[in-house]
Amino acid sequence: MPTRLLIVEDDDRIRAVMRLGLEDEGYEIVEADRAEAALSQVRAWTPDVMIVDLMLGAVDGFTCIREVRKISDVPIIVVSARADTHDVVAGLEAGADDYVTKPFQIKEISARLRALRRRATSGTAGADQGGARSDLVLDFRRTLVLSTAAGTVRLGDDPILLTLTEFQLLAELAATPGVVLSRGSLLERVWDHGFYGDERLVDAHVRRLRTKIERDPANPELVVTVRGMGYRLDRR
Amino acid sequence: MTGFRPPGLRVRSRGLRGRIAITFGAGALLIAGTLGSSTFYFARAYLYDQRERTVVRQASLDAVFVSDQLDSVAADIPDVLSAAGPPESGTIVLEQAGQWYSSSLGIGRDVVPAQLRESVDAGRPAHITVTLDGFPTVIVGIPLPRTGANFYCVVRLRELRDTIRILQIVLTTGAAMAAAGGIALGTWASRRVVQPLNLVAATAAEIAGGRLDTRLPPTDDPDLATIVGSFNAMVDTLRQRIERDSRFAADVSHELRSPLTTLVAAVDIMQGRRGELPERSKVALDLVNAELDRFQQLLDSLLTLARTEDGLDPDRLGAVSMAELAAHALERAGVGPERLRSADPGVVLGDRALLERALLNLIENAQRHGQGVTAVRVERQHDDVAVLVDDQGPGVPVGERERIFERFATNRAARGSSSGTGLGLALVARTVTAHGGTVWCTEQPGSGARFVIRLPAGSAVEP
Repeated sequence: MPTRLLIVEDDDRIRAVMRLGLEDEGYEIVEADRAEAALSQVRAWTPDVMIVDLMLGAVDGFTCIREVRKISDVPIIVVSARADTHDVVAGLEAGADDYVTKPFQIKEISARLRALRRRATSGTAGADQGGARSDLVLDFRRTLVLSTAAGTVRLGDDPILLTLTEFQLLAELAATPGVVLSRGSLLERVWDHGFYGDERLVDAHVRRLRTKIERDPANPELVVTVRGMGYRLDRR
Repeated sequence: MTGFRPPGLRVRSRGLRGRIAITFGAGALLIAGTLGSSTFYFARAYLYDQRERTVVRQASLDAVFVSDQLDSVAADIPDVLSAAGPPESGTIVLEQAGQWYSSSLGIGRDVVPAQLRESVDAGRPAHITVTLDGFPTVIVGIPLPRTGANFYCVVRLRELRDTIRILQIVLTTGAAMAAAGGIALGTWASRRVVQPLNLVAATAAEIAGGRLDTRLPPTDDPDLATIVGSFNAMVDTLRQRIERDSRFAADVSHELRSPLTTLVAAVDIMQGRRGELPERSKVALDLVNAELDRFQQLLDSLLTLARTEDGLDPDRLGAVSMAELAAHALERAGVGPERLRSADPGVVLGDRALLERALLNLIENAQRHGQGVTAVRVERQHDDVAVLVDDQGPGVPVGERERIFERFATNRAARGSSSGTGLGLALVARTVTAHGGTVWCTEQPGSGARFVIRLPAGSAVEP
């Protein structure tokens, strides 16, 4: 079954060329030129993955991503015209999983999409295996439990909704509690980027993760920053 | 031509404050001087007039006395004169039938002006004021018709002269003091006037130093409000202008990105379907592809240049290992890692993406213009981390070694290449300077060019 891809882009030609290129790669594609149209497609068509341009019309890409995140954890790649602006970070913090900058090559965007898909499918594959060791208590007092097998994080009895990337980031950190992981190695393990990818990806996702699992996101106790080195997960 | 002065005749300007002080001083002197001198002249005329009246009245009394004396007895004239009055009231000179008599020595017919004598001879009493031995002297002449004699009274106005002299001194001193006071007042006033100008100057200096947020504080003074308003408006305009200029390159690159995205992706798709194309179309496609690459690099470089112009982004600074970066840059440039020689030189504090771009540019420059990189060395030099990139090309002529770091300085004819954007080395220079380092081009002992980057070493822990 082909991967269902929703392209949200207001430039007709870029949309057309993305469709051309990615159809060659075997994607099933639906286009949306506005945030509103994108949202209704997410509800009705339930894509497997999304590409969202940050420069949309009336409702911008950030709002679009935030709205999508309320109803879906579909992996999202944002497209930004400039890698050096704060747009990228803002897009990631709104809930996107990865980004590419214009101008991009089809094979570049395709590689990112594949990496996201691979993670998504391996996540479900892991869930099938099950196993006794897969539940890890991160915080005893608040009974915050990471279940790699089920792909969930629960606080007491309530599930915490994490995106795929947030979950994998947490799982990577939880695999070696107390050990500092550099941003570069997290980029390699979670995003499939090279060691020299954009470290802001890691930082933005750590911030989002903290807002969901920390008691006080401003003073993190679980996912701790080690200055100049990286991040470490401390079980409590 | 206005404002032109031959160099030899240049007059040192006194400055606004000096001019104000001198104007105040001159004004005070003029007013005090005019007042003083008119006071002096009126007072002197009045005093003279008063004294003359007194002298004339006294002389008339004396004349009556002398006339009576001469009348009553055929007395000795000198006796009459000495009895006439105390010497301080003046000297009496008497002329009778061509004979002159005087009540004191040294004063006689000589002191009586001819003019006065004529008047008295004609039977008319008169008086005159002359200067005698430096003193103002009133001489009164009265004919005594009963005795056939002429009576003259010579009175020196000694105390009047002293009074006038004191008056003169007082008024002159007063004028001088007024002038001095005027200068002092002028200096104070000019300081008050110049004070806001000093503030303007200090603010302008701050703005010139790059702090474009600086503004003059608002004022209630209606005279200054205009200046303050205009000044702040000027700074606003200037700032907008600077921001617009520095945004321009970024905006251009940004606007070009949408069409470029379509182009790059479309060419990408054609590359994916190369097999379907005829031979000549493939060649054309490769040309388009290569040019698109260059175009994209040019845009990236322009954007990065615009970005580094504003200084480094503190959020992106971190401890960067130049040895690691050099290895990665060599890999990206497709050069084998065996060319890298490094002996744990430590880290620098910097923007990793920018520094890697700079290293990559140097390596690509050597590949493109220097017939290939022969060695990349990363070493510690005192407090700096140095990266040396050697090639085996003809080297760079001494006169060109500074110029090649300027934008679009690539000398195509000499280098015989149409690749490269002309921004690569400019970007290296800008990046290194922004990191507080230096970059230069020199030659190797053997042959070939050597590019050297030196960056201040940072501590490993501080991000």
